Amino acid sequence: MFPGVDGFHWTFAHIFFVSVFLSIAAALAGIVIASLARGGRDIANGRAGQIRWSLDFAELPLELRQCRHAVTGEAPGRICPNAFDCRHCEEHAKFRQARAGQCDNAACGLFYPNYRYYHRGHTWVTPQKDGTLLVGLDAIGEHMVGKPDSVRMPAPGSRVVTNGEGWRMSKDGFEVRVLAPIDGTVVQTGTPQDGWYLRVQPDSHPPDLRHLLRGEEIEAWVSREIERLQCALSPDADTPLLADGGVLMEEFIREVPAARRDEVLGEMFLEP
Amino acid sequence: MADAAFVPMTAVAKPLRDRRLITRGLDRCSLPVFSAWLAPWFVMLAVGLYATYLALRFGLNQTNMDNRFAFGLWIFLDLGVIALGAGAFFSGFLLYIMKLRELQAVINTAVILGFVCYSGAIAVLLVDVGQPLRAWFTFWHPNVHSMLTEVTFCISCYLAVLTLEYLPIVLKNRRLKQNASFLVFEWELHRLVPLLAGIGTLLSFFHQGSLGGLYGVLRGRPFAYRAGLGIWPTTFFLFILSAMAVGPSFLLLVLSAVEGITGKKLVAADVKMTLGKISGWLLIPYVLLKSVDTLVWLHSTSRQAGFRPWEYYCWKPFGFWVLLAEIVVCGFVPAILLIRRATRSRPWMLVLSAALACTGVLLNRFVLTIQTLALPTLAFDKFMVYYPNWQEFAVFGAVVAYAVIVYSLSYRYLPLFPQEKELNRVSRS
Repeated sequence: MFPGVDGFHWTFAHIFFVSVFLSIAAALAGIVIASLARGGRDIANGRAGQIRWSLDFAELPLELRQCRHAVTGEAPGRICPNAFDCRHCEEHAKFRQARAGQCDNAACGLFYPNYRYYHRGHTWVTPQKDGTLLVGLDAIGEHMVGKPDSVRMPAPGSRVVTNGEGWRMSKDGFEVRVLAPIDGTVVQTGTPQDGWYLRVQPDSHPPDLRHLLRGEEIEAWVSREIERLQCALSPDADTPLLADGGVLMEEFIREVPAARRDEVLGEMFLEP
Repeated sequence: MADAAFVPMTAVAKPLRDRRLITRGLDRCSLPVFSAWLAPWFVMLAVGLYATYLALRFGLNQTNMDNRFAFGLWIFLDLGVIALGAGAFFSGFLLYIMKLRELQAVINTAVILGFVCYSGAIAVLLVDVGQPLRAWFTFWHPNVHSMLTEVTFCISCYLAVLTLEYLPIVLKNRRLKQNASFLVFEWELHRLVPLLAGIGTLLSFFHQGSLGGLYGVLRGRPFAYRAGLGIWPTTFFLFILSAMAVGPSFLLLVLSAVEGITGKKLVAADVKMTLGKISGWLLIPYVLLKSVDTLVWLHSTSRQAGFRPWEYYCWKPFGFWVLLAEIVVCGFVPAILLIRRATRSRPWMLVLSAALACTGVLLNRFVLTIQTLALPTLAFDKFMVYYPNWQEFAVFGAVVAYAVIVYSLSYRYLPLFPQEKELNRVSRS
């Protein structure tokens, strides 16, 4: 069949068959080599975190992928086309110009101070006087896991990217990834007792925080998240329990039926 | 509570628990129950491997095949699973080339079915041909006048394609995708899947056709011999069309079986109906062309070879009923049931139609393999009877067991069904 092998003849049929076969074999090898080369380049360029998030985002349920302006009622039903990175969204600027005012961001007894910026993966960001940014779990995140059983933090000096992995923590054997809310270099790691987890030197000065929630939209978002939690706590998982007007208890992930605990944890921290 | 343990991200080694391998939010049975489900399949696989050892160690005299009856249960199995596994290439073609997005819900299952069907077929071929250590001879010293050469080349390449299509699904495992290298490789490979789908379609088109063609060119076997277009007998085209038609039906059958066994909704009803509709509209031209081909064969091709039509059907158990069953009961009937919305919208009718369609194509492959060899062709020939022995059944069973095991593991540890979470959330409420 091949030149030099007994049985091969320099005829059109033989040459055509061998050419087709070798072309297909080369194409398959090329696909593997290209995937490996591109993958290596992605890792070298630090794109692994963004790739992971784009895959995770696509797998999130539709209601979790809603645009922040859908949550506030400005654009009902709109699904975020930018995987929660409003810095690249043309529509976002229009919506923000239309909104104004401040509000008191307390809901269900949860403390959401106005001076913080919030990420939809339940972290907050607070700019510091020295130019760094503090990152911590927001009130829902803290109430949900309480004190984690273990935490895997990035080493100081490592980079974090928006929507990439910030840190991992586990509770009662369930592990979850917490999304980093900003781009930058980790300069220090904290503890739950400190009230914050990361101190980050942002890539730009001033830092670009347009993709984070703030002001009046926080209340609408928190209300939506509370509603989701009520659904998660209900026996059939889809009907919200009537709120009794109380406050969220500590470590309420333990109140979620065991069979759904992993799923709820993943949904709240946007890791499907 | 003890203080949280703070450890560097890179220095954590945790025991590998089963639930950490299962996609978050997917409800799967406990590990003991899953093990109990797998146990009998592993036994079946072990028995088949022993039979394989016997066949490879002592030769094909371990089977009931002989020089006259050289094709038996194993070749029927090969032809059958390759036809049924066509759902992989055809679904990929419809999804990635024709942009039928609805099939995204079933593409993973289609790829896995294709993979197990083709890898199982090649494994059985290695046993059937014997001397697997010399398998490379078929590539280096092929018989260039045989359609099997093209089949060998195409099937080998297509198995490589299916492996590359299966790989991204495996790398979506919850644990594996934590590894950044696997993650980016899967991402980049998945971006090239449309190219793989195109190559797979090309390869499938030719090897499905050549499998049919190798029967159609048997001049010495008037039961199988067909006239055709150029060098291609009509069976070349009928095999392609029948595989395309039955692939979605087999996919539908497997999905229904998995849903029945697991008690979960995995795919939306409209997707299943789409599969049924595709199958139905492809079955129609297939059975029409098959009918025309049969009439031409009975009235012309066969008569020219000196055989009158009823001669083929006077040898029991291969009566005329086989032809009727293949073309009418398992051809026209499911085709009509599948193209009518009123019938395919009933789940049991949809499954029944798909089962009939699959049976029809399997019957076609059985008839061409077994009846062709059993019928006498010369005046001094006798009608030959062949029953597979336990070794042949055991190897057959091992392929089935292998398929079930691979699919079961994939179902448990890989996110096969994008709609599963949503559908079961709705069904819970």
